[in-house]
Amino acid sequence: MDRRTFVIGTAACVAAAPAIAQTPFPSHAVTILVAFPPGGANDILTRPIAAALEPILKQPVVVETKAGAGGQIGAQVAATAKPDGYTLLSHNNGISGYAEVDKLFGRQPKTTRADFIPLARLIADPVLLLVNDQQPYKTLKDFIDDAKKRPEAIVYRSGGLYGATHLPMAILEKATGIPKLRHLPTNGGGPAITALLGNNAQASTQAISASLPHIKSGKLRALAAFGATRSKVLPDVPTLKELGFDAEYYLWVGLFAPKGTPADIIATLSVALDKAALSEQFKSVVNSLGQEYSYQNAKDFAAFWAADAKRSDEAVQLIGKQG
Amino acid sequence: MESTLFSLAHGFAIAFQPDNLWYAFLGCLVGTLVGVLPGIGPLSGISILLPVTFGLNATQAVIMLAGIYYGSQYGGSTTSILMRIPGEASSVMTCIDGNAMAKKGRAGAALCIAAVGSWVAGTFGVIALTVVAPPLATIALKFGPPEYTALLVLGLIFLAYMSSSSLVRTLLMACIGLMLGMIGIDNMTGHFRYSFNLTELGDGIGIVPVAVGLFGLGEILSTPSHKVIGEVIAPKFRELWPSRKEWNESYWPIGRGTLLGFIIGIIPGSAHIISSFLSYALERRISKHPEEFGRGAVAGVAGPESANNSASTGAFVPMLALGIPTGPIPAVLMGALMVHGIAPGPQLVTEHPDVFWGFVASMYVGNLMLLALNLPLVGLFVTVLRIPYAYLYPLIIMFCVIGVYEVNHSIVDVWIMLIMGVLGYALRKFSFDPAPLVLGLVIAPIFEQSLRQSLIMSNGNYFIFFNRPISAGLLIVCIVLLGMSALTFILKRKDWRDKLAAAEAGEPIA
Amino acid sequence: MSGTDGEKLTLRADHVAGAAFVAFGAVIIALSGDLPVGALSMPGAGFLPRIVAVLTIVFGLALILRASAESPPFAELDWADGKHALTVTAITGGGILLYERLGFIVTMLLTLMALLTIVERRNPLRAAVFCVLIVGVTYASFVYGLKTPLPEFGY
Repeated sequence: MDRRTFVIGTAACVAAAPAIAQTPFPSHAVTILVAFPPGGANDILTRPIAAALEPILKQPVVVETKAGAGGQIGAQVAATAKPDGYTLLSHNNGISGYAEVDKLFGRQPKTTRADFIPLARLIADPVLLLVNDQQPYKTLKDFIDDAKKRPEAIVYRSGGLYGATHLPMAILEKATGIPKLRHLPTNGGGPAITALLGNNAQASTQAISASLPHIKSGKLRALAAFGATRSKVLPDVPTLKELGFDAEYYLWVGLFAPKGTPADIIATLSVALDKAALSEQFKSVVNSLGQEYSYQNAKDFAAFWAADAKRSDEAVQLIGKQG
Repeated sequence: MESTLFSLAHGFAIAFQPDNLWYAFLGCLVGTLVGVLPGIGPLSGISILLPVTFGLNATQAVIMLAGIYYGSQYGGSTTSILMRIPGEASSVMTCIDGNAMAKKGRAGAALCIAAVGSWVAGTFGVIALTVVAPPLATIALKFGPPEYTALLVLGLIFLAYMSSSSLVRTLLMACIGLMLGMIGIDNMTGHFRYSFNLTELGDGIGIVPVAVGLFGLGEILSTPSHKVIGEVIAPKFRELWPSRKEWNESYWPIGRGTLLGFIIGIIPGSAHIISSFLSYALERRISKHPEEFGRGAVAGVAGPESANNSASTGAFVPMLALGIPTGPIPAVLMGALMVHGIAPGPQLVTEHPDVFWGFVASMYVGNLMLLALNLPLVGLFVTVLRIPYAYLYPLIIMFCVIGVYEVNHSIVDVWIMLIMGVLGYALRKFSFDPAPLVLGLVIAPIFEQSLRQSLIMSNGNYFIFFNRPISAGLLIVCIVLLGMSALTFILKRKDWRDKLAAAEAGEPIA
Repeated sequence: MSGTDGEKLTLRADHVAGAAFVAFGAVIIALSGDLPVGALSMPGAGFLPRIVAVLTIVFGLALILRASAESPPFAELDWADGKHALTVTAITGGGILLYERLGFIVTMLLTLMALLTIVERRNPLRAAVFCVLIVGVTYASFVYGLKTPLPEFGY
């Protein structure tokens, strides 16, 4: 028996152990709802993890897209699903912010963070502050100085209002004390990068995976990174922390179970996920996205999520209500 | 140029490898199936089969996925022509005259013209992609919000040529479409608009449920089976091919549609869905017999079908040359490349010439395959019309439900389709034409967003639309068009529309 | 306008349609409640919807004004297909209601059978064979051919 079979065998034993009294979990197919359209990071990362889970759980793991309304539809469907471990959710930063935005508009939140139990973080992609090659800024200091000198002159694009590429700019504005920049919301990260390349915006905050090819070709310049440490793929880009600013932000993808899922099932799933994350299949996809392996288990992810949610809530309040 | 030809030859060598040929064929076959089955559009087809390609190498994966993409564009016209169900927004215009041709017994001809038009458009698109992709893509990047706004103003002006009903009726329909298009989260401020606390309406009302409801279901509701008994619309076998006259009527529309579609297709963003609408309006504007449109005009099939196919090829230009997805489908294709460790971007051509040129060459091959696949199938597809109407329409209803549901797995969408079906029935009773409504729905969100983005860019100054060369140029075209219409109106007093209305009312033309 | 006094009093199709558009525009304006209008230089979330709603009302009124010249009397509209439309709508609505609960196979069998036997009054046996065949082939081609899940029973 080689090590791999052993690991899978152990996982299966662990998986079966706590639930012997009832029907062992899982007794049929598990569905992972993906709250974002195919081709996005959620879809690309969830599929290999689902494939790796199948031999561990010894049941089919189906990936189903429930995209729409910036991920809210998927979150809502998952929140109202039967909490039996057979319906899981693949979501991202968005899940932290919906309730706070609803509060801002005086709406009854459809889902809150309490509706979900964190299972695993699949990836955390640090955000970069980007400018295009037609801008004079070479360092973050140039950018800050100019932003202070000409308030409201720099236009930045985000993938959506209160979205994961809008919030980091608000965090940056606060940390560096620059006056508010002019914000152009777009629908989606792709169009935001397009606008930056075409000089229809001067700056943007985007994740490394989305912007790396354009940085390599010299069309975009990264002035600073929002990660805690420098990224291996962009070792020359300083982090904001190094530069003395308290700002951190990642685009992350995580898996969740609906609130009320029994603890033993959560335990089974976390163990299985930890094993699945070690699979070559998953690692190679992470690699090909130009990412460092940044998987977190349920416990670490819960702590990370709490900190991220706090950052996100603060940023939403900083932005406030527009128009 | 020489190096391009050399690289292309290299690409053909890759495309003609038996493995790659097989995956191209598989992609085309699945794509045709996906397009013909109402319900699975190109996007869901590609998304579903994406995981299958993880086991292949990058070249094979992208060849197969692209085959599915343009294969489904070919197939999409089939349900539009035979059953009046538009599988996606770009097939709406094909529905109108294509289905009218089918009712006259020319279903085979309509399908053939659609297939040949698609082939011409697809092949032209690939040639243009090979020769001019990089410089074109750089120009396309200049397309910012002000240019978008100007393009959509042009689209709104073309509205007037979309429909044979009076101008007031056309404008009313467009207004309803524009209002429906503004439902959902306001991208600029985060307000929920007219969504009645339904999260499903957050992204607004989809085009597919509205188009399927208004055209497909609306038609069924107003056609009880006793009306069609004894009416045989299935043509004889030898009548399947277009007549010489029909060919002659389709050359130029195919050419114009191809060019128009490609230009709109390379613009990053979601504008390429208006290509078929613009092509239809253009054909009608310059036709000598505008009154035939809506009653089975050949140009009304040839133009929009070519436009929508070359737009979908044009959409690859920014994706391959710059690594920018121009729509949801190129986004999925880029995702597939990334899974294989290839980052689409400016370096794709130099870093992965096999993938790039193999892909381009396989598009030439794929287009030819599709033509060979589709023409013989025309006869098979047309037999659908031999099913008695009483059995056929329940079948169509079933496909409408599946189709609309499968797009987003949303039952709310299916309810919207039913409501739109009832609306389509009512509109027909009061002689309104729903096509401008669909165009309004398509334009509203892009127009509103780009107008407001432009104004943020300029700090509220409207001169931004005239400062920039492309948007100024488009707006000048708008003004010339409006001026020309005004001139005809003053000189002739009556245009074809009035003659048509008069002829319909059975009154002599005054 | 060529209408005589007598014709002016008749209720015409476009009177009804125009009134419906005016009402629709008014409803939209009423629903726009707290959506900010903004300014011409910086339009808010409620700016364009209100403009389009006003245009709808204006065009609706234009329709009413031109009604007597352009449209047939309302009473002359042919509603013979109304019963067909109503039953088909009701049956389809029922199908949609059940679709996610009973799944594709059961719902579509019921819907198709209802359409064929209630609306079309076809021979139930032939209709049943047709339904089973169609639903079976469709299900197989989606689920096995294209690997696209359709809603299942109790889903």
